[in-house]
Amino acid sequence: MSKRPLPHVNSVTKPYWDGCTRGELVIQLCRNSACGKYVFYPRVCCPHCNGGDLEWEKISGKGVIASYTLVHRPQHEAFYQEAPVCFIAVRLDEGPILYSQLVDRPANVELVEARVEAIFQEVAPGFSLPYFRLSGAAPKGGVGKREP
Amino acid sequence: MARGSYDGVFVVGCGQTEYTRRTDKAIQRLIWEAIDVALRSANLPWKAVDGFGASCFVLPPDNVTVLAEHFGLTPRWLFQGVYGGASSIIAMLHAARAIQAGDADVVACVAADIFDVAMHNELLDRFNTSMRDYFAPYGFGGANGVFALHTRLYMERFGATREDFGRLCVAQRTNALLNPNALMKKPLTLEEYLSAREIAEPLRLFDCVHPCCGADAVILASEKVAKNLGVPLVSILGGGGQHNYPVEDIYSLRGGWEAMSERMYGQGRCSPSDLQFAQLYDDYPVMEFIQLEGLGVVPRGRTAEFLRSTDVTVHGAFPINTGGGQLSAGQAGASGGMIGVFEAVTQLRGEAGARQVSCDRGVVAGYGLVAYGRGQSSSAAILARAS
Repeated sequence: MSKRPLPHVNSVTKPYWDGCTRGELVIQLCRNSACGKYVFYPRVCCPHCNGGDLEWEKISGKGVIASYTLVHRPQHEAFYQEAPVCFIAVRLDEGPILYSQLVDRPANVELVEARVEAIFQEVAPGFSLPYFRLSGAAPKGGVGKREP
Repeated sequence: MARGSYDGVFVVGCGQTEYTRRTDKAIQRLIWEAIDVALRSANLPWKAVDGFGASCFVLPPDNVTVLAEHFGLTPRWLFQGVYGGASSIIAMLHAARAIQAGDADVVACVAADIFDVAMHNELLDRFNTSMRDYFAPYGFGGANGVFALHTRLYMERFGATREDFGRLCVAQRTNALLNPNALMKKPLTLEEYLSAREIAEPLRLFDCVHPCCGADAVILASEKVAKNLGVPLVSILGGGGQHNYPVEDIYSLRGGWEAMSERMYGQGRCSPSDLQFAQLYDDYPVMEFIQLEGLGVVPRGRTAEFLRSTDVTVHGAFPINTGGGQLSAGQAGASGGMIGVFEAVTQLRGEAGARQVSCDRGVVAGYGLVAYGRGQSSSAAILARAS
C-alpha cells in the first residue's frame, strides 16, 4: 500500500500543524478590531477584511457537522482498507469550516448538525491530523434548516 | 452597440473528436483534430488563425504558447484557461473582446484531455494547496466526496430526492444515445440509476462523470471575416464569469450565475423565458440544479418540481444537455467546459442530426476549479443563431 497523502507544511501553515501535533486546534484570528473574525484554513491575510494582521489562537475544537458523506471509493489507495470513510465538513463554533473524518461513527444517527469535538491522531512520525467524534446528545430532529 | 454587447463577433465553426475511454493519440493530436474539424466547418484555413486559447489539464509541462509553436501558428493573442470547467466559456468571451478590440480576427478556442479515473483522482489530490493540504489527507474521495456534501444538503434543504437527480441523468442518457461521439452507448433506466453501486453517499455511480479522452473546439471571427464564409453564424448575446461567489458561505447552494445572470440577460436584451435549451456544466446533477436556479430558469429550490413536470430530453419542452453532457458523453477533463459550447453551436447551426432541437437561442454554463470545498469559478453565455 502506498503512503497516505500528507499536507505540505510551510511558514504560513506551520503553527496550525504544530498545534495539531501538540493535540490543540490552533487557528488564526483577525486582529483588525472592526473585523475580529476567525480564519481557517491558514492564510497570509484575513479574507473577510483583507487586513494582514492575524494572530494564532487555541480554539475549542467543537462544532457541528455541516454535511457529510460515506466515501466508498477513496481517491487514494492508502484509504481503501478503511473505506467507507466518513468525510465531514465541520462548522467550528468559532465560524470557519474545517474538513475532516468522523471517527467511531454510530449507525443510524442523523449526522447533519450533530455536535462534534476534535481529537488528534498521529498519521506519520511526529505529525498529527485533527479528526472528530460525536459529542454530547444527538441532535433533535436531525436534518439541516429547510428553506421554504 | 449596447453596453457590454458582443456585437461584431461570431462563432463561425465548431469541432469535436469522438470521446473514448482510452487513446493512443498524443494530447496535441486530439487538440489538432478538434481544431481542424472546427476550421473546416468555418471554411477557414489554419493560416487564418491569429488568436489561440487552450484549456487542458495534461498539457504541462507544455502550455498554449508551446502548443502554438507545435502547430506552426503565429498568433497575436493567446489565452490559457485556469478556471477549470468554467474556462472554455471564459475563453470564448475573452476572445470575443479581443476581436472587438482588433487584437485578433480569427480565434481558435480548444479544450481537451486524456483522462481516466486514476489520473482524475491523482489530479484532485494535488489540484491546489487547499485540496492537497486539507482534503487529500482525509481520504475525501476526490470531487465525488466534495459534491456529495452539497448534494446531501440540497436534498435536505429543498426536499429533493434521488429520483429527482435520476430523472435528469436518465434524460441525458436518452440524448447521448443520439450523439455518435458520446462514450455511453446503452440506455439507462431510473431503476439502474437508483441501484447503482455507491460511490460517496448519497452519490452513486451514475451521478458521477466517466473520465475519458476527447477534444472540443470553436472558432470565433470578426464580422468582416465571418460574413464572407458562407457558413451558419452564431452570435454571443451576453455572458460573463463570476468567481468565489458567494464569498463567505461554501454551503449556500448558490453559484456565480445568480450574480452575473441579470447583467447577461441585459446584454442580450432577453430573459430566461426566451431560452430554448440549456447546456449545463454537469459534473454532478446537483450543480445543474443550482445552475438552472442561478440562471433564473427555475425558482430557487424548485428544480426537482421542474424536472417532475418537464421533459428535458431533445424530444421535450426544455432540452438540457442535448448531446448527453459529461454525465453520458463523458468528461474529457478540461473539455467538460467546452462540450456544452460545442453542443450549443452545433444545435444553433442546425447540424445536430438525430438530436437536433428546434431552437434559435439557448444558454451554456461552465463551472470549475474545485478548491476549498467548492468550485471557485462560474461562467455562462447566451448564444443565438445570427439573423
